Amino acid sequence: MTTKTSLLKVILLGDGGVGKSSIMNRYVTNKFDAHLFHTIGVEFLNKDLEVDGHQVTLQIWDTAGQERFRSLRTPFYRGSDCCLLTFSVDDNQSFLNLGNWKKEFIYYADVKEPEKFPFVILGNKLDVTERQVSIEEVQQWCQENGNYPYYETSAKDATNVAVAFEEAVRRVLAMDERTDHLIPTDTVKLHRKPRSAGTCCS
Amino acid sequence: MNAERDYQMIRKLERAHFFSTREQEMILKLYEEEREILTAKSNTTSASKLREEAWQRIADQINTVSDSGYKRTWQQVKIKHKNIVQTAKRRRVEVMRSQGGSATPSLHSAEEDVLLHKDNRLRVEVLAGGSCIDPLMGSDSSFISVSGHPMLLLPVTKTEPESLSGDETDMSDAHFEGDLNSSSFQEMSNSAAGGRGAETQTEDIRALYCCYLRKEMENRDQLMAYRALKMRKLEKEILILDKQLDCDSVMADIRRGCSYFFLYDGSKVKGEGDPTRDGICFFYPEETPVDKQELLCGQLAGVCRCVSELSSSPVRVLRLHRNKYAVRMKDDFLWALGCSVEVPTISVCELLDQLINLFCFYNGCVRQSYQLHSRETLAARWAQYLSYLQPGSSELHHVFSCLRTIDSTNVDPLLLLKAALILQGCQRCPLVLAGCILFRGRVVSTQMSPELTVKVMVHESETYTRRPSRPSSSTSSAAVGSTPVFLTASELHYLQSAPVNKDVRSHSTPQRDAHPGKTRLSRTLSEIASTESDSSDPGPSQSPDKVSLNLSRSESDNSANPLDPLPQSPEPSFSNGQHCPEAEEETFEESYYQSFHSSRDGDVQEHDEDNSLLSGGGEERRRGDAACGTEFDLRALESESCGDELLEGERGVGCGSAQGHAAEQRNPPPPEESPLIPMTLYLHRVKGLVLALLVDPHFLNDKASTEEVYHSSLASLNGLEAHLRSITPGAPCAPGPYIFAHFDCIQSTLTTNLSGRPGGAPEHPFVRATSLLHSHFCNTKTLQEAIIRSAGAAVYGTRSVAQETYFQQHGGSLRNSGIPNHQDSAFSLPSKARHRLLKHGVNLL
Repeated sequence: MTTKTSLLKVILLGDGGVGKSSIMNRYVTNKFDAHLFHTIGVEFLNKDLEVDGHQVTLQIWDTAGQERFRSLRTPFYRGSDCCLLTFSVDDNQSFLNLGNWKKEFIYYADVKEPEKFPFVILGNKLDVTERQVSIEEVQQWCQENGNYPYYETSAKDATNVAVAFEEAVRRVLAMDERTDHLIPTDTVKLHRKPRSAGTCCS
Repeated sequence: MNAERDYQMIRKLERAHFFSTREQEMILKLYEEEREILTAKSNTTSASKLREEAWQRIADQINTVSDSGYKRTWQQVKIKHKNIVQTAKRRRVEVMRSQGGSATPSLHSAEEDVLLHKDNRLRVEVLAGGSCIDPLMGSDSSFISVSGHPMLLLPVTKTEPESLSGDETDMSDAHFEGDLNSSSFQEMSNSAAGGRGAETQTEDIRALYCCYLRKEMENRDQLMAYRALKMRKLEKEILILDKQLDCDSVMADIRRGCSYFFLYDGSKVKGEGDPTRDGICFFYPEETPVDKQELLCGQLAGVCRCVSELSSSPVRVLRLHRNKYAVRMKDDFLWALGCSVEVPTISVCELLDQLINLFCFYNGCVRQSYQLHSRETLAARWAQYLSYLQPGSSELHHVFSCLRTIDSTNVDPLLLLKAALILQGCQRCPLVLAGCILFRGRVVSTQMSPELTVKVMVHESETYTRRPSRPSSSTSSAAVGSTPVFLTASELHYLQSAPVNKDVRSHSTPQRDAHPGKTRLSRTLSEIASTESDSSDPGPSQSPDKVSLNLSRSESDNSANPLDPLPQSPEPSFSNGQHCPEAEEETFEESYYQSFHSSRDGDVQEHDEDNSLLSGGGEERRRGDAACGTEFDLRALESESCGDELLEGERGVGCGSAQGHAAEQRNPPPPEESPLIPMTLYLHRVKGLVLALLVDPHFLNDKASTEEVYHSSLASLNGLEAHLRSITPGAPCAPGPYIFAHFDCIQSTLTTNLSGRPGGAPEHPFVRATSLLHSHFCNTKTLQEAIIRSAGAAVYGTRSVAQETYFQQHGGSLRNSGIPNHQDSAFSLPSKARHRLLKHGVNLL
C-alpha cells in the first residue's frame, strides 16, 4: 500500500511506580530491568512498526509519575497523538488517579476536542498475584469516560504490551481517517495528499 | 592708630628699596609680555622710545597693583629687572658648581612619595585607572601608583626615575636651598620686626632676599621646563596606551591567549651542521617565516638547555621583555608557550600543561606519536588543541582556565540529577570507568576530574562542529562513536578510587540502589541525595564481582599490548589484581616484558644512531668523557635517579620496565611522569547532547556491554536533550550594580554575572583586576583577601582553599583619597560582597 512513514507521539501517564518506563523499555528494547530509578522529567524512545499496512514511527514518551516532577513533564504533553493512561492493578490508588491524569493531560496538551481524543487505558503488573483492582471496575470506568480500550499488561512478562501500543496506533490512525473525511467537506484542498494520489494511480 | 602707623613706618623703612616678591614677579611677567619690544635689536630712536614706553607701561602696572605702597619709576623697574636677571645667572652658576651627591629629592607629590616606598610590600594594591593596569603588571615589584587625576594617570614604570633624574635633581636641589633661604629669611625678618633693625642686618636680609628670589626664579624656570617635559612624556604615554588598547580590542582573542607556541625536538638537531628547522615539530602561528621560527626556537632552546644544566632543574618560565614563556622539557623535547607579560604566569603555565596533556591524552606518548604519524598530521592536532584551549567566549574563563558548564541557575537541578543518574546507570557496566554529559559544548554533569573533562570535551567539540545535528529518528550506530585515548596512571587511579558502588554493578540489588551516596562523583547528586536518599543496603555479592572486573581488565591489557609495541606499561595494580589466577598474571607479565624489551632496544639504538656523530656509543655516552657528551651525561644520570624513584614507587613491576620508564620519560614535569594507559572514549550523541564515557578498550568488542549501555541510556538521553533544548536561555540578568566572579577551585567552574562577550567596556577593568588578583593568590599562598583599586573602581577578591571570589561594586562615588582611610568605600566591599552574592549561591560568610 503506502510507504509514507508518519511520526506518532504517544505519551505514557500514570502514578509513579506503576511501570510506565518498564512498559516502554519492554516494548522498544524487549528488556526488563527491575531496578529502574524514578524517571526524572521525561524520556522517550522511537520504534518503527507497521500497523494495518501503515508504516509508523512511534515516539513513546515516558513521563515521571511523581507529583514533584510535574513542572518538568507537563510542557511535553503538547503535540501528543495518543495518551496511554497507566495504573497498576495491585494499587487501587493509582487506578483512582486516572481521572486526574486525564484532566492534567487535557489541560496541558491543550486538546481541542477532549471527548474525541484517543486514550488507551493500561493496567500494568498483571504478573502480581494480589490484585486490588478488578477488571469490571476498570471496564466500567472506561465505559463512563468515553469507551476507552483497556488492556491488562505485564512489562515483566511481556504480556499484552505490543498489543496495547498497536491499538494505540490504530486509534490514532482512525482519528486521522475521520479528520481526513471531515476536512474535504468544508474546505478546498490545495495540496492533494500523496497517499490519495497514489491510490488513484495504482 | 599709633601702633598701626608705627607698623607702617617700619614696613616702609625696611622695604624702602625692595621690590616685593609680587612686584618682582610682575616685572618678569610683564617683561615677558613686552619682550618683543624690549629685546628688539634696534638702536633707532623710535625703537628706544618704544622701549621706554614699554618700561613705563610695566612700571605703571606695577604701581597700580603694588602692595608695597611705593611708586616706582620706569628706570627703577628696568634696573631691577636687569639685576634680577644678572643675579639669577650668577646664582645658577653657583648652583651648578655646588651641586653634588648630597641632593636629596624632596618632592612632595604623591607619586614620588610612592616611588620612595617602592620596596615595601603592600597588601592592598592601588591601581591607577582601570586601563592602566597593564604596565603595572609588567613591573616586578607590586608597588603602587597613585595619582590625582584619572586621565593624567601615569603608569609608573621602572624606567621613569632614570629618565627624569636630571630634571628632578636640579629642581629638588633648588627647591631645597630655596626652602632653606626662605626660612632663614623669615627668621631674620622676624627679628628685624622685633625692633632691633640694625643696618648690617638689613643688608643681610637684602642679600638673603635677593638670593631667595633668584633661587625662586630659577626654580620656576626649571619647574616650567620640567612640566613641559612631563607633558610631552604624558602625550607619548597616552599614545602608547592608545596603541595598546587598539591592539587589545583588535587582537584580543589572539594576543591575550598565546602569541607563540612551539615544540622543538632536540634529538633532531645534534650536529653542528643540523639546521634548527629540523627540530621544529610545530610552530604557532604557523605562518611565521621559517627564519624567525628558527631564531626563536634556537635561542629559547639554547637558553633553556643552558639554564637547566646550570641549575640542574628544568626551566619552567622564561621572562623576556614583552613576552613570557612557559617552558616544559621532556626527553629531548622542549615546549614553549609565549604569552604577553600581562597574562599571569600561572595561567601561561597551566595553558601549556593542558596543551601537552591534551596531546598525550589523544595521541599517547609524544615520542611514539611522532614515530607513528607524520609531522603534518600532528601539527594539525596541535593546532586544533591550541585553538580549543584559546580563550574563546570570555576572558575570565581564560584567567581561571575553568570548565565551561551549563548555566546552572537556569536549569532545574532535577535535570542535573537526571544527568548524574544516567552516568551512574552507565557505570553499571563494569567496563565503564566514568563519564560526563555535555550539552552544546558545556558540561552538564561529570564524574571525572575537571582536567580530564576538559580533555574529553575537545573531542566532543570537534565532532560537534564537524557533524551537523541529526534528527532524533535516525537510530543507533551513527550517533555512537569512539576514539582511543591515553590516561595517566594518576588519572586512572583517581577514577578507580571514586567510590563506585559495586553493588550497583552486580545487577542484583534492591530497587533504589542506583542511587548511592557518592558525593564526589556527581556534584548535583550530593545536594539532592540527602533529601531523598534511601540508604542502600550493601548486597552480599561483592567479591565475585571484583574478580570478574579484574579479569576483564587484565585480559584487555593483554590484548592491548600487541597493538602498542612501544613501552606503555599498564598500571601495575591492574596486572597485580589479587583475584587474578597466578598463571595468567605471569604470562601477562612475561609477554609484556618481552614486548617492552624489544621495543626498548629499538629505542636505544635509535638514540645511538642519532648520536653516533657526537659520541661513540651508548656506554661512552653514559660515562660522558667526551666534551660534547656532557649534556647527555647529565640527563643520563638524571634518568637513572628518576628510574630509581619509579622503581620504588611502583610495586611489582619488573626492573626492566622501570628503567624503561626512565628511558622513556627523563625529566618530565609531574603530570607526565607516569606511563600512559590506553583507554577508549565512547561517545553517544543525541543532537546537542553527548554522553562521553571512558571505557576499557575491551568494551567495544563486548557486544553485550555496548548494547546494555546504549539501551539503558538512550531514553534518558533523549529526554534530557528535550529538556535542555526546551530551556530558553534565560534573559541574561540585567547588568546589576555589581560584577562578580566566583571560581570553584575543586570543580574548576566559574560563576559570574559577566556577559559572555569579550571586551565589554565596563568589564574590562574587572577582568584585568581579577586576573591580577588571581595570579597573586596563586603566588602567595597565605594571601586571603585583597582589594585592588584605581581612581574609579575597586575590586575585592577573597579566596579560601576551595574557592576564589571577586567582586566589584558599580556606581556611587568612591571616596578614594589614595591614603588608607576608614571611610574609604573600598573597605565596605567585603560586606557588600557577602550580602549580594548570597543570592547567587556564593557563601562568603
